[in-house]
Amino acid sequence: MSEMWVNMGPQHPMTHGLWNLRVRIEGEVIKDVEPEMGYLHRGIEKISEDRHYNEIITLMDRTCYVAGLAWEQLFIVAAEQALHITPPERAEYIRVLSAEFQRIASHIMWYAAFVQDIGLMTPFLYGMRDRDLILDLFQSYTGGRLTYEYMRVGGVRNDLPLGLTDRCRKVCDWLMDRFVEYDRLCLSSTPFHERCDGLGVLEAPEAIAYGVTGPMLRSAGSRRDLRKDRPYSVYDKLQFDVATATTADVTGRYLVRMEEMRQAVRIIRQCLDWLDDHPGPVMAAQLPRWLGAPYAPVGNEAYLLKRNYPTGVGFSMVEEPHGEAGAYIVNDGGEHPYRVKFRSPVLINIWASKRYLPGYRVADIPPIMGSVDVCVGECDR
Amino acid sequence: MKTNELAARLTSKFGEGILGVDEFPGLLGRVRFDAAIASKLFHTFRDDLGFAHLTMVGAIDWIDHREVFYTLWSDADRVYVMLSANLPSDAPTIASAVPVWPSANAHEREAWDLVGIRFEGHPDLRRIFMPEGYAYHPLLRSFKIHEPEDLEVKVRSE
Repeated sequence: MSEMWVNMGPQHPMTHGLWNLRVRIEGEVIKDVEPEMGYLHRGIEKISEDRHYNEIITLMDRTCYVAGLAWEQLFIVAAEQALHITPPERAEYIRVLSAEFQRIASHIMWYAAFVQDIGLMTPFLYGMRDRDLILDLFQSYTGGRLTYEYMRVGGVRNDLPLGLTDRCRKVCDWLMDRFVEYDRLCLSSTPFHERCDGLGVLEAPEAIAYGVTGPMLRSAGSRRDLRKDRPYSVYDKLQFDVATATTADVTGRYLVRMEEMRQAVRIIRQCLDWLDDHPGPVMAAQLPRWLGAPYAPVGNEAYLLKRNYPTGVGFSMVEEPHGEAGAYIVNDGGEHPYRVKFRSPVLINIWASKRYLPGYRVADIPPIMGSVDVCVGECDR
Repeated sequence: MKTNELAARLTSKFGEGILGVDEFPGLLGRVRFDAAIASKLFHTFRDDLGFAHLTMVGAIDWIDHREVFYTLWSDADRVYVMLSANLPSDAPTIASAVPVWPSANAHEREAWDLVGIRFEGHPDLRRIFMPEGYAYHPLLRSFKIHEPEDLEVKVRSE
């Protein structure tokens, strides 16, 4: 049978964003794939070269629009290293709390979209309902529901409002019950297993060679998790387990993400207890004036103080909901970073589809690519 | 492994190919190397030193030269290390890391697209974000984002 190339995208329900998967097929069987990116490239690295550090935080929310706080944390860790600033411990706990809630929100978003892809409608509605509770929490202490601009170099913008920790606990309890429901909806469904089991297999050695990280790597039995392997922020003081699966297929990735949400609730509860017992400042005391919270410096002030800027480099790797995100900041003493380089886990996970898609059938593409958890915003940057 | 230990091992193997091993906050170190030994150095890091993960490849335009950097992770030592090489601005060429780490493919395409680094031996060195035939490498310092008249997209018509 003759072979042909088929474009899936840039407008296709499978893509969950703007990108194009070119597939070479022979009959129903995939022979080769060629992912094409760039439809959502906004030049965030270039714009960052022209902005103050606190202004880049705004861009970080737009980098990944379902995990804004995780990307804010990524940038902040690197920027504080480059600028030689240490945040107070309470701010670190609030950041971890935010990042873990963001992980749950991102995973629920993934769950809702992915399960709808394979034909189950109800989980989409349930997922969106429960994600809204987390967005409500974010709204009450950051002011935003999707783009937060909450973290700052040196701390966070404001402390948690009164009573928020109790509201968070209620949401955690609610979510833990819902996770049982999610599993019941999917794992007891025969069509779910028929469409997911044994698809998109990528074993750990190949996944490492192809740079795949995050839940996709852990579903192959690897225990790689930056929160354990190279703890940043206060993760070394918190107890949690690394979620893994052994099947390395779509179902395995589902199981890993479900377990990660439960572990995230565990982390959040520890953070809430700590935050209740340890009131204190959420912004470093001796900040240079040009970094003063809550707003970035304006006008001439930054230029007047230009000569006092420190130089340095910042390198951070963060376990973001989609995988390992990285930032490398070169600070040459100017008011803007000289160069900011971000590593997007999604770009590499999508690119590795050259390895895990061939051999399967065309109808398997939506569940397999759905299980990657594509966010084109951070992929194209 | 310590930074000076790494420096001693690399220098005994590569001699003058290693230009220096610097301290780097949060990393095992930054290895500055001569682009001529790139391929051998990559093999050494993967096979002898156990750095199986390539996490990042990027490039910086320092105006008088360009810098390519690679960050690697070792599962055994639980550390990152950064490799960095300076390339001349008029001929920024270095051996591709794809034969050693397949994951370098997308990273190197990005470095070519945005900073204009040529990776010799890359199987498919095309632009990844900007359209094919685009006239600029946007992350070069000479590309200004506040001069809209220069920003007219120039795409070659096929």
